[in-house]
Amino acid sequence: MEDIREVSDAQLVTMIARYNEVALAETYRRHGGAVFGLARRVLNGAAEAEDVTQEVFLRLWNQPERFDATRGNLRGWLLTQSHARAVETIRSLTARRQREINDAHKAARGAYDMQHEAWDVVLAEDVKKALGELPPEERRAIELAYFEGYTYIKVAEILNEPEGTVKSRIRNGMRRMRATLVESGIEGADR
Amino acid sequence: MMSHDEASELLAVAALHAVDAETLAAIDEHAATCPRCQSELDSYRVVASALGNSVEELPEGLWTNISSQLWERKGEPSEMPALQIDGVHADVVAIDSAARSSRRLRTAVGAIAFAAAASIVVLALTLSNAQNHVTNLEGALQSANRSVVQRALTMPGHQIVDLTNASNRRLAEFVMLPDGTGYLVKSNMPALTPNDTYQLWAIVKGSPVSIGVMGSSPGQVTFTMDSSPGPSELAVTVQPAGGSLTPAKSFVASGPVVAS
Repeated sequence: MEDIREVSDAQLVTMIARYNEVALAETYRRHGGAVFGLARRVLNGAAEAEDVTQEVFLRLWNQPERFDATRGNLRGWLLTQSHARAVETIRSLTARRQREINDAHKAARGAYDMQHEAWDVVLAEDVKKALGELPPEERRAIELAYFEGYTYIKVAEILNEPEGTVKSRIRNGMRRMRATLVESGIEGADR
Repeated sequence: MMSHDEASELLAVAALHAVDAETLAAIDEHAATCPRCQSELDSYRVVASALGNSVEELPEGLWTNISSQLWERKGEPSEMPALQIDGVHADVVAIDSAARSSRRLRTAVGAIAFAAAASIVVLALTLSNAQNHVTNLEGALQSANRSVVQRALTMPGHQIVDLTNASNRRLAEFVMLPDGTGYLVKSNMPALTPNDTYQLWAIVKGSPVSIGVMGSSPGQVTFTMDSSPGPSELAVTVQPAGGSLTPAKSFVASGPVVAS
């Protein structure tokens, strides 16, 4: 029988659909660290990040058909799920807890530039390059939205800019990063 | 529904989840009907995922927590598919949570209590034709537990049968082994009234041969077929309780037997 470690991600999902717990464990082994890492990054707390990770893998187990291999890879899909759950969580926390998280984020940025922090947590070289090359105002809007879980409307409020401006900055920044990823040959960015 | 222009403007922020849940749902709804927006959204999501692609060491015990919950699937009655038979909406009743969760059923070792109430197949019919003889359909509780089904799915030469309805919705999946043993892997078949039963048929040389009745809310099913040649398809009908010698109604679902 084929070694589970040799099985492709798409095959793992098929096996999960057939109630194969070993396949889910292997998926967790391959991608759990990334799912947890992103949730922790957004939530700035291990306990909440564990809850998110748990939810993401249980969702994969219960609804494997939601993953569509034609629309992206499994790691990307799991990260999208992780980010969505983390953002939901952070937005549902009390205002006080939200402030604590934001303060922790600010403290982290004060001690260590966010851009460089991101570099150290194993972002792919091409992504580092893409984010780093963005104009600062675009990068800041994307960071606030993605890593701190704010809506673009809230980002506009924080940056004291019109909502339309922030929306455009995020879109432009995403397009620039997408172009860089396409040039680097990252699968799925070239749609 | 959100207009194309509205959605198009928000795709990048949506990929970052930087909109509220309601707006995100509206964007997703639009994208599902607009290939251009869907493609654009997917490409932004690739970018977002790449941004978030950092790896941290996993906390000890997290996997244990996850794996301990795998077999506690919850069911939402609203998800039950409507059953259409000959264009007539059948009298469908909700399946209770124990019976409708085939995963839970398979893991409930020793759950003799609900065996009788649920869906255990008993060979009620013994049928034969010149070349095919279907035998030994048995109650499955003792053997068709989760590990048995899982093992079947890893056996060399196993065949998968996806049974879909006229709307191409998958209602059941079976696995069949070369020795003629078959198991219900999963079922989305809605529960019937007690007066009706699902009946499983093998299509052999174009003719339906009864495998047996599956009860009104199939959960665990095991059967053994002694048939050469093997069936080209499996099919399910709804029959009066007790089953019928010939399929009285059109197939609720059917699917080809294919090698995995």
